[in-house]
Parts: sequence; C-alpha cells; structure tokens
Amino acid sequence: MTRFRRCFAACLCVCGVLVAGSRLSAPASADDVAERAKKLHFSTIVLDTHDDTTQRFFSKGYDIAKRNPDGHVDIPRMIDGGMNAIFFSIWIDGRIMGPPAVQKALDQIDAVHENVRKNSRDMVLCRTAAEVREAHKQGKIAALIGVEGGHMIGNDIRVLRMFGDLGVRYMTLSHFYNDEWADSSTDKPVHNGLTDFGKDIVREMNRQGIMVDISHVSDKTFYDALEVSKAPLIASHSSCRALCNHVRDMSDDMIKALAAKGGVIQINYERSFIDQAYKDASDKLTGGVVAQFDLFKKECGGDQECFGRKMAEKQKQAMEEGKLPHVSWERIIDHIDHAVKLVGAEHVGLGSDFDGADMPEGMEDCSKLPKITEALMRKGYTDEDIRKILGGNTLRVMEQTEKVSRELQAQ
Amino acid sequence: MVRTLLTAGIVVSAAAFLAATVTADDISARAKKLHFSSIVVDTHDDTTQRFLDGKFDLGPRSATGSIDIPRMKEGGLGAIFFSIWIPSKVTGPEAVNRAMTQIDAVREQVRAHPQDLMLATTAAEVREARKQGKIAALMGVEGGHMINANLGVLRSYAALGVRYMTLTHSGNDEWADSSTDKAVHNGLTDFGKDVVREMNRLGMIVDISHVSDKTFYDVLETSKAPPFASHSSCRAICDAPRNMTDQMMKDLAAKGGVVQINYHVGFLNQEYRGKATPEIAKELGEEVRKHCAGDDEGCQLIEGERITREFVAQGKLPKVEYTAIIEHIEHAVRVAGIDHVGLGSDFDGANMPFGMEDATKLPKITEALLKKGYSEGDVRKILGENTLRVMTEVERVSRELHGGK
Repeated sequence: MTRFRRCFAACLCVCGVLVAGSRLSAPASADDVAERAKKLHFSTIVLDTHDDTTQRFFSKGYDIAKRNPDGHVDIPRMIDGGMNAIFFSIWIDGRIMGPPAVQKALDQIDAVHENVRKNSRDMVLCRTAAEVREAHKQGKIAALIGVEGGHMIGNDIRVLRMFGDLGVRYMTLSHFYNDEWADSSTDKPVHNGLTDFGKDIVREMNRQGIMVDISHVSDKTFYDALEVSKAPLIASHSSCRALCNHVRDMSDDMIKALAAKGGVIQINYERSFIDQAYKDASDKLTGGVVAQFDLFKKECGGDQECFGRKMAEKQKQAMEEGKLPHVSWERIIDHIDHAVKLVGAEHVGLGSDFDGADMPEGMEDCSKLPKITEALMRKGYTDEDIRKILGGNTLRVMEQTEKVSRELQAQ
Repeated sequence: MVRTLLTAGIVVSAAAFLAATVTADDISARAKKLHFSSIVVDTHDDTTQRFLDGKFDLGPRSATGSIDIPRMKEGGLGAIFFSIWIPSKVTGPEAVNRAMTQIDAVREQVRAHPQDLMLATTAAEVREARKQGKIAALMGVEGGHMINANLGVLRSYAALGVRYMTLTHSGNDEWADSSTDKAVHNGLTDFGKDVVREMNRLGMIVDISHVSDKTFYDVLETSKAPPFASHSSCRAICDAPRNMTDQMMKDLAAKGGVVQINYHVGFLNQEYRGKATPEIAKELGEEVRKHCAGDDEGCQLIEGERITREFVAQGKLPKVEYTAIIEHIEHAVRVAGIDHVGLGSDFDGANMPFGMEDATKLPKITEALLKKGYSEGDVRKILGENTLRVMTEVERVSRELHGGK
C-alpha cells in the first residue's frame, strides 16, 4: 500500500538527479522474441510479492473470480498475465495499534483464506516454496500472505507467531509510521532503527519461517535487520534510489548489502518510486493533495476502495492538466536492469504494489506482465535469469527461510 | 473455569451416598490394564491459565495444580482439551487478542515438548498421537465473547487448531444467553445460529456447557452435528444451572451428543452447594486476593483450591469425595445411555473432590466403574471413545458442508 505516501511522505524526499535507464535494443527479430518470451513467461512461476488486493475483498462490488473493470488484479487477469503466485498484503493504517490492529489484521487474513476457499478450483493457499511449486504443477494460482507493518502484531510476539500459524509468510517491519519497535523510512526516527524487542521480533520471524521484509523501514532499521536476521531478507516492494531518489527505494549500497546476505529486492511499479520527474512533480502537488486526502477521507470514511478510486481520479486529472508527467512501464525494466547490473540476476524480483499504487502507463494491470519478460529478453537476458527474476529468486529465499526455521526449531 | 463458589446454590439437602471407595494404590490389575490401554480424553482443563505467568511449564512435575506431563502420564490421560478462557466481561478486540495469546501459549507448550505432546485437531490425530506414545493436545475456546461477534475470528481460531467453542461463559455474550446471567436473547440470536452453522462447517464441536437451557435447545435445533457439554454434571443430583436436567441429557443423547461430567464439588454435591453461601464466597475471594494479583488467573485457581480445602478442614464447607463423580456418571448413563457420557474434569479451573486431586487419580474412575459392573467396552466409551465418536461425526458433517460450499 503506497497511496498515503504521496500525501504525507513525499515532502520528506530530496530531489536527486534523474538517471535515465538504458534503452531497449532488439537482438533478434521481433516476432521470434515475442513468441519465445510468451512461451517462457507462461511456463514459469511468476511470483508477485506485494498486492493490496486484500483491501478490495471488503468492497461489495469486487469479485476476484470475475474480470473487474477497475483495479489491477483478479483471477481472469492473473491468468491472462501468467501471474500464478501472489502475496496478498494484510494492511491497515499504521496509526491503528494494539488489539484493534490485531483484530483488523485477522479480518484481512480471514478474507484471504475465504476468497481462496471460495475459488479453490483456481487458487490454493501456500506456505512454502514446495507448495508454490506444487500449485503451479496443478495449474493453480498460489496464494500467499504478507503482513505489511509490524504495528499489526499489537507489540506482542505471541501474535506474530499466531499470524505465522495462520499462514503469514512475510512481515514488513513497519509501514509509513514507526511502530513500537522499528523506525519507518517516512517517519521521524525515534528508535535508532530496531529496538531490542524489534531484534527479538526478527529472531522470532527466523524461528517461525516468516520472511523479514525491509520495504518501508528506515535505512538504519534495514541495517539492523540485516545484522540480526539469520535468514536472507526481502524488500517486498521497493525500487532503486539511484534512478528515483525516494526514501521508499533502496540505495545501491543497501541493495548490495541485501544481496550479499542472499536477499532479493522486489521492484515496485509505483510511478513516483520509479520516475524522478514524476516524483518531483508529485512532491510539488503535495499541499493540494493533502487537502484532497482529507476531503476523500471525509467522503469515503474508512472505505479504502473509495479512497483509492478518488485518489486515482485526482492523479489522472493532474496528468491531463499537465501537472504530472506521463510515466512509461519501461521504467520498471530500467529499475530491474539497474539492480541486476549492480548485484546480479539472483537478487532481483517483482513486487508490483498492484491495487495499492499508481501504475505506469503500459502496466495498467497484471495482464500486462508478459511485457516484462519480453523486454528482458530483448535486452539479452538469458531464459534462466528471467525465470529467476520472475519468481525463482523469491522461491529461493523462501526455501532458505524455511531451512533456517527448521534449524532454529531443532535447537 | 468455574468462578470458585461465586454461584451459591439453592439450598436443598440431599443425601450424598458414597460407594466403592478406592484409593490410589488400590487399582486392580484389570482396571490398570483397561485404563492404560484406553484413550482417556478429558474435554476441559484450565491449565492454559498457568502458562501465562511465563514460569509454569508442563514438563516437570508441579507441586500445585492438577495437570503436567508426568502426572498426565501417571494417570493415563491420553488426550486433553486445553481451555482458552478469559472473563466474560472482557470483550471486543481485547478479548480476541488475549484469546490469541492463550492459543499461542498452548502451541508453544506443544512445541517445547515434542517428545510428549502432539497437537491434534481430529479424532484420527488423537489416535495417531496414542500410536506414537504421545499425549494429544487439543484446544477449546470457553466462551463466545472471544470471537468479538465476528465469524472471521471464529474461522481464525479453527485454523489455529481450536476444536470446540463453548457458546458463552458465565455472562451472556452478544448472541447467546448464559445459564448464569439474566436472559436477554431468548437463547441464540439469528447471528448466534449463524455461529453454530459456521462451527458445523468448520468442524468445530458446539459446546453447550455454560449456556442457558433455551440456548441449549436452540443449538440442538440449529446444529447439523452432535453438540457436547464439555464440562457439566447432572442437575437431578446437584441443582446448579451449570448442570443438565435429565430431559436435556436425553435430548442431547438423541442428537448423538455427550455430557462430559465436571468434577467441581459445587456441581457434584448439593450439600456443598448449599453451604457455599455468598458470605463464604466473599471470604474465600478475600483470602485469594491476599495471595494473588487481580489479573493472575493462574495464581487464583491454585490458591482458590488450596484455601477451599482449608475451609473444608475448618468445617466451613463439607468434604466431598471423588465417588460423587461416579455417582454422576452412573446417573447420566442411566438417563442418556452409555454412548453419551464422558469426562470433562475442569482440572485447574475448579475445586476437586477429595481423592481426585489431580490427573494421577484418573485410574480410580476406571476401577470404580468396573466394580460397579460396567463392561470394559462401556468403560472405554466413557473414558474417551464417546468423545472421539462425536469428533468423527463433527468432521464428517464438516466435510459434507464443505462439499456444498
């Protein structure tokens, strides 16, 4: 979930120099590559580590089984786009804490379980890499669960374990606001990274086989988590700061440190995380948008669906008025390529932020995902490297996390 | 969890009769053989409260309370339902959060003792645990207030391994009347009926201990699977609203259910019930508070038991023998039939009769029943097979309902 960032956090960013991504070159005839890319894409496990579709389960008009005219994810479009493994994000406002946060998180975990159960012909809940592979073999979409923000455990390590037992496979240590034990990248630091209890949380996540997600956290929190964790980390939805200087993105040094520990940066498609010009223009608009945010909040109450729709309309209008520049989906490829050049194809993956962020043009929903495979192929990426980026790397981190968990539980 | 002595009963003098007294050392070879080859299931134990102090561990033999691994082994207890319980007055998200931490506490105990304990959620898993020489650990949520009127929370509990839910505790919740509160819902509300249907679908046993008589009958009408009373005794012997009338037991049996006899002295013995006046309850409460913090339920149950025994020694309360349990079992068997009676001790949550201080004393029940002339097959049913049959049936109904989606 990225939306609020523009309203509250964009102003924290320091504008950097736009680094243009390398342009695409076609090493083979277009038709041949398109055909090969299609084959590769639809025979691969395509695993997206961050989708806010969960919020939509609470809207009357939404049915994941049907093709929806809005939003980014449903089963028909997942099938069209070859997206066969998805982390449904459990997310609530970071200012809700304590038992109410736990209750709301449980509601969302239940909503994922129920939607998977009701669509059991197409989807199956998975907890392990082996289960994801098995789902793929059976031609089903693997549904996984990630909790986006440590505030949802109610400052209680026991609740974390219960989430793990309910199938949660990663937890983002914070969201936009600091929680009781970790600093966020978009809040004023108060803990100097992770507190001692925060470090215990990371250790317990290792023991339970829950991946530690360092998207959203402050740089210091990232380095603390890296030091404490016995398993590789993921950034479930973050892009490259070198190309777009946003605190939600990762610096080259951070990406290198993450990779050295075996982790994966999952590239976020949000326009203001991947395009510097867009981010700069968006920052300029912030004042107005905050006012709009309050208005939307008034109009929509707690209805995230309504809020998201109104926000999108506002973005569209600003773009039409020329106040926001157009952003092409090819920026996603630039970010993937930057990260691959920096740390190798073993440490880069996909974390779209579908249904929680503003998508660039050409990546309007998950049906467009095959374009990523084709673009990487045209750049000269090997089939093997593409498979890793599409999902293999994340499965590797899951397997390593499971191994560490087994070892710790045997102690 | 019985709130010790707090529900003083109607004073009716009743002749408690004692028969077939057996001491712990006095178990026949036949009873021993039968007991230790049966799967003994106890459907209600409040030991979970003790896990929360962070010090109590099921591993070593404890000097207090009724349950730990060594004593379960010694008493041949093969399967135990750990109760998830918080007071009725705690509601909303707070109740959910606290219930979750207790579920975690049970699961952590199981993780800490993988050689001795195995988490079980089905009858087949209980039998598998036995095959592996382990005690099956199960969970029941004691009070519908812990779902915060939210079916999603109910489903989460089921996913975490909870296999029964008592629809209320001692107070009404949002959708069901309790037997020890003023009726406000006329039994189950429409939502309460939805809760029962969802429990059927999830394969959770509907537990009608604690609920009002009208709630009980609403459950019987609504549930597609047999319910049980996880820890209730016979009202005909001891007139407590927490116990079941003969007619209720018959109706429960007709639906395939089981009444699990509660060992709490205040539910077993009418004289005790009469003497446990509000004044005595107040005095006991004051004594307990001298030793325990207000929110330390684990301490309160241990101290409550100790001080109650002191009151018995001082003659303030009558002495009740464990044979009263046998009396209730026999009565229930006569009324409801041999297939509809089981054991729901309320260990670590109630005041135990003399001779049934802890789980090590359980073989005495087998010995007493054999002496009464029960067949070995019938004894096995009471010890656990009846409960396993209900579980199997509840699982079958769940599969059928899942099939319909």
